[in-house]
Amino acid sequence: MSTPLIELYDLTKYFDVAKGKRLHAVDGVTMTINKGETMGIVGESGCGKSTLGRTVMKLHEPTSGKIIYDGVDITHYKKRQMKVIRPKLQMIFQDPYSSINPRMCVQDLIAEPMIVNKMYKSKIEVYDKVSELMDTVGLAQRLTGAYPHELDGGRRQRIGVARALSLNPEFIVCDEPVSALDVSIQAQILNLLMDLQEERNLTYMFITHNMSVVKHISNEILVMYMGTCVEKCSSDELFANPMHPYTKALLSAIPVPSIESKDKKIKAIKGEVTSPINPKPGCRFANRCPLATEECTGADVPFEEIAPDHFVACCKIK
Amino acid sequence: MSEKLLEVKDLEIIYKTDLETVQAVNGISFELNKGETVGLVGETGAGKTTTALAILRLLPERNARVLKGEIDFDGKNLFDLTDKEMQKIRGEKISMIFQDPMTALNPVMSVGDQIAESLQLHNDNNETKAEIEKRVEESLEMVGIPASRKKEYPHQFSGGMKQRVVIAIALACNPSLLIADEPTTALDVTIQAQVLTMMTDLKEKLGTAMIMITHDLGIIAETCDNVGVIYAGEIIEYGTLEDIFTGENHHPYTEGLFGSIPNIEKNERRLHPIEGLMPDPTDLPKGCSFSPRCPKCMDICKEVNPCSFEDGKHRIKCHLFDGFEGFTAADKEVE
Repeated sequence: MSTPLIELYDLTKYFDVAKGKRLHAVDGVTMTINKGETMGIVGESGCGKSTLGRTVMKLHEPTSGKIIYDGVDITHYKKRQMKVIRPKLQMIFQDPYSSINPRMCVQDLIAEPMIVNKMYKSKIEVYDKVSELMDTVGLAQRLTGAYPHELDGGRRQRIGVARALSLNPEFIVCDEPVSALDVSIQAQILNLLMDLQEERNLTYMFITHNMSVVKHISNEILVMYMGTCVEKCSSDELFANPMHPYTKALLSAIPVPSIESKDKKIKAIKGEVTSPINPKPGCRFANRCPLATEECTGADVPFEEIAPDHFVACCKIK
Repeated sequence: MSEKLLEVKDLEIIYKTDLETVQAVNGISFELNKGETVGLVGETGAGKTTTALAILRLLPERNARVLKGEIDFDGKNLFDLTDKEMQKIRGEKISMIFQDPMTALNPVMSVGDQIAESLQLHNDNNETKAEIEKRVEESLEMVGIPASRKKEYPHQFSGGMKQRVVIAIALACNPSLLIADEPTTALDVTIQAQVLTMMTDLKEKLGTAMIMITHDLGIIAETCDNVGVIYAGEIIEYGTLEDIFTGENHHPYTEGLFGSIPNIEKNERRLHPIEGLMPDPTDLPKGCSFSPRCPKCMDICKEVNPCSFEDGKHRIKCHLFDGFEGFTAADKEVE
């Protein structure tokens, strides 16, 4: 039986942008991530997926709601308390070009988290661990003294993975870890992440805008639109039986690399994402939705379990 | 039979700096007929954009050198033209859509003026200001932007809308060739779908030929007639969409590229990436440039750069197809 590791209840993060104006970045996200599983978060830019990841890590203070890690409510943990459990919660960042210090060599970059958290007493132990980690993520030992500018994007991202792993975490938020990489390198990193998960029973929250990547790596998928949950279910179910009109639009918009797709041409939905500042109540997708009626714009739409383990927020689907 | 519009023959381009020489393009050849779309697909640094810039003769003069090759457009070799003649072609006959709409537009000029700019520069029929204004409005409407927004500035538009403006500028003079360099890479998928649908519709309506440069095989499948797969400055496989996406005979790199993308329609747990990295373009390996990463590498691959082997339109640059059924050697072997 799977046990939950991370539980979120009605998690909300608003940013004050100007007097009386609030940007609803994350609006009422409820979900559970089980140990050893991967939760994929998908959505377009600006839908709040990165903010969600950062809020779970408590890099942003949540506006309201609850974050429970391993049965303990960490929502109101102070900085000092967070420091104790941070090693268990790590993050891999999107851009391997800007997320690592260009003036530190590979060895120091990987050692840094261990030194900051005083994991080992002697330097020798730290550097032993560094070379072990370099093997794990597939960085050649000859690169120990290399600086980031000498490395390509794939290797830099491996440093990011090694840094996240250095503290033996249980939970890793991967924020678009492969979107800055070329396809052949992207596949190498995805394989690495999946191997590590199997070996170490890691739990991932995998944030991406790439539907095919998310399908490949996730057990469960949450689709977000303008800060709200739109649909959540198992990965296979989402692709076999998408229910929410936005999910359908998202899926049909992906160009598929096979020749049969030429006949079933991509269907584009009209319109664009509106501003998330002080949004009106009601379904936020309504202005682009082909099914929308007056019913959709009046009150907020509940996120309901339509089929077993299949949650959808749409009043047109019953 | 459709008419030939563009032919790139054995193009070789290097970038020279004081310290090193980057071999960006090493003998690319392809053709394009009127109204057709050819896709160039490859990874970062494969030489896709350099090829595109060479067609427009926009390579940085300071360090780029064209060593060899011809680009025939409408029967003329573009390298023989004077700068003045080239200016007539740029924007009017051949135009380009750049990758990043955020930086391709001038932030202090209204979008209407930016479209009008190219119309005024190529104003052969001595159109009056009012006529040009009218054409600006038509171009905006054509890409799905209300003409009333022509007085607005780029920052007032979203990313997808900006890319529409860029497309409107590119198509304003009705060019016969449009080069799209990663036109949707900076956009979200639903917006990407809108822009791609619009581009294919406009292409059909106006009869423009297009070179689609992308790293996304999905976009290629969606838009192109012919495809060239580029690796380290060479077209290692070329053919019709069917040749590339179906059948058994492929260059090992093409196979690797397909193995690397998680396919939505298949359920596979592990991907099959290509081991290793792109070769350093300042120091290309001897023989076939893919040989260090190739799972099917033979002794000959490390010594001799293969020539192309052809089966009709399908062209593969790999020793595996030497003497292969249906394939014949296209040209003499090159060192």
